[in-house]
Amino acid sequence: MTTSAPVIGVVGNDVPRQLLLALGARPHRLTGSWTGAIDPDAAQLLGATDAVVARLLTELRSDAQPLDALIVCNDSQAHLRLFYVLRATASTVPVHLLDMPRDASEPARRFARFQLEALAAFCAAVTGRRLDAASLAAAADAEAAVGDALRRLRARRRADPPLCAGADALDAMLDAARLAPSEAVARLDAARAPVSPGAMRVHVTGSSHPDAAFYRELESEGRCVIVSEDHDTGEAAWLGEAVRGETTEHVLEGLSDAHFARVTTSATTSGSVRAAFTGDIAREAGADAVAAIIRELDEAPLWDLTDQRDVLEGIPFISGRVTPGEEIDAARDLVRELVDAAVSA
Amino acid sequence: MSGQGAAAPPRLESAAAATAFQKEWFLSLADRAREGEPIALANADAPHELLRALGIPYVVNQWWSSIISAKRAAPASLAAVAAQGLPDDSRQYDVLPLGAQELAAELAPWGGLPEPRFAISERSGDVTHKIFERWGRRPGTETFLLSRTAAVPAPAGWWDRVAHDWEDVFGAARIDLLEGEIRALAATLEQRVRRTLDLGELAGIMALANEQAEWNRRTRDLLASARPLPVAVTDIIPAVMVPQWHRGTPWAVAAARRLHDEVARRIDDGHAVCRGERRRLMWIGRGLWSDLEMYRSFQDEFGAVFVWSMYLAIAADGYARYGDDPVRTLAARFVGLTDLLYVPPMSSSWYVKEALAHGVDGVVHLVADDTPAPGVITAALEQRGIPVLEIRASNADPRATGDVRERIAGFVRERVPAAR
Repeated sequence: MTTSAPVIGVVGNDVPRQLLLALGARPHRLTGSWTGAIDPDAAQLLGATDAVVARLLTELRSDAQPLDALIVCNDSQAHLRLFYVLRATASTVPVHLLDMPRDASEPARRFARFQLEALAAFCAAVTGRRLDAASLAAAADAEAAVGDALRRLRARRRADPPLCAGADALDAMLDAARLAPSEAVARLDAARAPVSPGAMRVHVTGSSHPDAAFYRELESEGRCVIVSEDHDTGEAAWLGEAVRGETTEHVLEGLSDAHFARVTTSATTSGSVRAAFTGDIAREAGADAVAAIIRELDEAPLWDLTDQRDVLEGIPFISGRVTPGEEIDAARDLVRELVDAAVSA
Repeated sequence: MSGQGAAAPPRLESAAAATAFQKEWFLSLADRAREGEPIALANADAPHELLRALGIPYVVNQWWSSIISAKRAAPASLAAVAAQGLPDDSRQYDVLPLGAQELAAELAPWGGLPEPRFAISERSGDVTHKIFERWGRRPGTETFLLSRTAAVPAPAGWWDRVAHDWEDVFGAARIDLLEGEIRALAATLEQRVRRTLDLGELAGIMALANEQAEWNRRTRDLLASARPLPVAVTDIIPAVMVPQWHRGTPWAVAAARRLHDEVARRIDDGHAVCRGERRRLMWIGRGLWSDLEMYRSFQDEFGAVFVWSMYLAIAADGYARYGDDPVRTLAARFVGLTDLLYVPPMSSSWYVKEALAHGVDGVVHLVADDTPAPGVITAALEQRGIPVLEIRASNADPRATGDVRERIAGFVRERVPAAR
């Protein structure tokens, strides 16, 4: 893989990177940002939509990202709206929607296979390459190495005291989702940063984080360190997943199985499953407290809070809603509440 | 004739009859449910015809929401939602019935909804599946979720093709998925209620539903060309929607025909909702059930009448599906029904078509949080010279719609010149 490969932008968390790599493309995940300008036209076109996605549309409409094509996942209404708007307003790059179903019934599995085949056909048209067993195997090796590096990073975050702060880890994971696999491995392995001794170990749930700005603010005074998260730009990103098989069909089947086996975003997963996921990871990471950070208009995580509170019984659980422009204040309030809750506990 | 300066016109007999029928039907259903008959709560885009064919009475979630709103029980219902630790500012229209289950019988509309045995919904949006997950946790209620695929393809100009060419309009793969899930749901329901789905019965229900849709299409066409508006939109809505929730029954077909004939009679008689009609308005979005009088409130000052709502129009263009296999045809009815209303270019091209056909001078576009890409719809209308007022609010939350009348009045005053 070289960085001169065609670059395919990815919005959302359902794309099996192995497929794109095998077709000679470099997946480049686009996540938007916590802060930055929103083009009024973008906001008007999207309607009531998470500001992060409005910033992403602003970015795409400005052609700031040199992309050869774009894939949007139907893994949230905001992303689906983004796709509909791009389609209706004649995007400058080819755009494809990946529409993976959620319940692993037989009809859903057939539809998932259809979706993966359509995805492969779209990418093949961009790169001019065809899928075959050899390219899929090479891509599996490359992506598996990313998975190994992610596990090493996770271990450093779980260490006591942690060997990498949450903000640095999140930065590395976001970068890894944009780099060629060999560069991603190096980037992940380089993520090491000192953590203040005695910092409270925090697990983050709720909305996904488009960049590490909020993490950085939470960790800025050294009172908290984020040791884990279950949102889909962090540890729940579909990154480092590799499937091996003798034929292209076997690999596609395996990728479909892997899709249905993982816990996906709040918008696509039941409250009980999301809550169990939060509880498992927070406990495994030895979290002292859990913080649910939920952006305005990202409504799905709001519906998980009650279940999460039940599952996390015994672990302080703080939730905060974040409105655009008030991110810094929200982070500071959250730190204060976390510290107070931990003291009370 | 009636209208400006005159008493309110007599209510459409079809509307009064439908409303009376619905209340009687609901009370009877509630009695039977309390005696143990299994009933279903179904979302508006769930395949109701399957339930009808299996003899499972159903209440439509959004219809029940509209009743809760109209009976002013929405605030108490949302408070009950919040008391469960759930948000009361997200998907209010879909969650009102869940909250209303907590109200005492004397506070709940019509004595309340008995606990359903089944709760059935498609996975629309980010939250509907979580609301129905909650239903499934109530004692005695089992939830079933169906996939909701995205609108790919989404052809403009679908209305002339969708009744017969639905494989192309929606795409075979999407229909395959929903058809498979409906068949699986049918098998499970057969087991639960110990009945067998009769495909001949289902085909008959589908045929009646098509007949109903054809009457609605004729009624819509009459109203599109009638000047002035002969029937208030607030009468049309119940006269169409109550039969819609009884779709596939002889009663519903008769009700749709009765509406058509009554509208035709009013046109022949030269009836006018507003004698001084000078501006014709279109209402895009869900109905404002908590303030139906609002729709009439611009007649005296502005001669402005709401001539269009989506309820008759989608009943006219969106529901008919003809096919040999009733289960696949049923899947084709629901696989993209909501996309026709909300996803451009299907939605935008349709609203433009309807606005032009009805001679609309201005549009009020109520944009709920769950409406995708509303700006594309608004832009399409504005490009045709039709001014649009976007109001961002949930129709089911009175807290969000308090200033609607003032905003519409300002819009009409400033942007909708009198055309006549």
